[in-house]
Amino acid sequence: MNVQDYILSGIVESHVLGLASPEENAEFERMCAAHNEVLAARNAFEIQLELGLQKQKLEPPSELKSRIFSEIGIEKSTVAKALLTKPTLIPRIGFARYVAAASLLLLAGSVLLNFYLLGQYKKTIAKNEELIAAQTQVASNNEIMQTKLLNYENAINLMKNPLMAIVKMSGVPKSPDPSSMATVYWDTKSKEVYLLVNQLPKPVANKQYQLWAIVDGKPVDVGIFDSVEGLSFVKLKTIQKAEAFAITLEKKGGSATPDMEAMYVMGKVTG
Amino acid sequence: MGLPGTYSEQELTSALKAKDEQAFSYLYDNYSGSLYSIILQIVKSPEVASDVLQEVFVNIWRKIESYDPIKGRLFTWMLNISRNASIDMLRSKNYQNSQKNQEITDNVYGDSQVTQTSIDSIGLSKFLGKLRPEQRVLIELAYFKGYTHDEIAQIEDIPLGTVKTRIRNALLQLRELLK
Repeated sequence: MNVQDYILSGIVESHVLGLASPEENAEFERMCAAHNEVLAARNAFEIQLELGLQKQKLEPPSELKSRIFSEIGIEKSTVAKALLTKPTLIPRIGFARYVAAASLLLLAGSVLLNFYLLGQYKKTIAKNEELIAAQTQVASNNEIMQTKLLNYENAINLMKNPLMAIVKMSGVPKSPDPSSMATVYWDTKSKEVYLLVNQLPKPVANKQYQLWAIVDGKPVDVGIFDSVEGLSFVKLKTIQKAEAFAITLEKKGGSATPDMEAMYVMGKVTG
Repeated sequence: MGLPGTYSEQELTSALKAKDEQAFSYLYDNYSGSLYSIILQIVKSPEVASDVLQEVFVNIWRKIESYDPIKGRLFTWMLNISRNASIDMLRSKNYQNSQKNQEITDNVYGDSQVTQTSIDSIGLSKFLGKLRPEQRVLIELAYFKGYTHDEIAQIEDIPLGTVKTRIRNALLQLRELLK
């Protein structure tokens, strides 16, 4: 059998399609090595077969590729990269990207809005607290003013009272502070004694001022008081009669007899 | 070569032997369709064909070292791996059990209707339709069922020489039909 007859015997197709026996295949390989025409004929049929079958594709299930890739241990990223090179998948992945990007933008926007609103909320809370504090301040100021006003009204009423005897007490020569001054308002009808401090130094610790009435040359306790500033009358004990009034600085709680060395002011009752 | 694609046959073979994953991905994208088609024509069931195709590509990846370009083209090598794997599947006990009920009438032993039921409008089966009936049954048994010439001679009760001649003549027509 010459080479041309051998080629046309059908052995080429039989060998390529795997239908030849082992002996036939061995012979065919020897012929290919020996004769270029046989090799060329085989190559031509292989290309023909490949082109023919490549026109007869059926799509395998879409998930099969990733199943194969995972079985042979190829990283998923490589599969994803390979998928990206398939043009039909690009729009979908692109769309997914847009969706992902859009959702990230929305998320970022939402976070920023939340921060803004949180800031606004904190500002509002702070402002509200400020207002509450201010209002409390106003209320407390108002209370103070009312108290002061009441005191002033009382003071004016006392001073207006025509039955009131006024005893002005000035600093005695031996007074620790000669510029001291105080005034006794003595109701001649009810015999109540009110004291107005014009000027007295702040008492040292553990000491209190004490008002005395001089009755028949002897000092009688009228009451202890703390130095009060402003137009404020202190109501003390009731005294039936007196020739003079005086203030000494005594131990806290007052004394039975005055310390003459610590007399600040004294004034005689006139009329 | 003359085939479409971004790799030449030689480049693709070298890249695959170097375990280039991109090349393997290209190989799958380019050839899974035609190989799946052949496998499906042999095993008939899409589920089974998918399993076989998976096995085929795993074997291509693992056994690419054994591919010798001197003996033939890469596609021929992959085609024969696919056909062999499909026929192995046909002969596996699991497959036969699952197909027994469905193919009770599709008995290759002497049933003349066998070739009719196996002819599809795709791939090589399409070519079968153009053969004379006595050639068609032999190609069916040889290529799609994987029987040896000796087995076919027994099955069809014809001399071995006749089997060989008919198959070869049929294959010579295939060359013309593929043009």
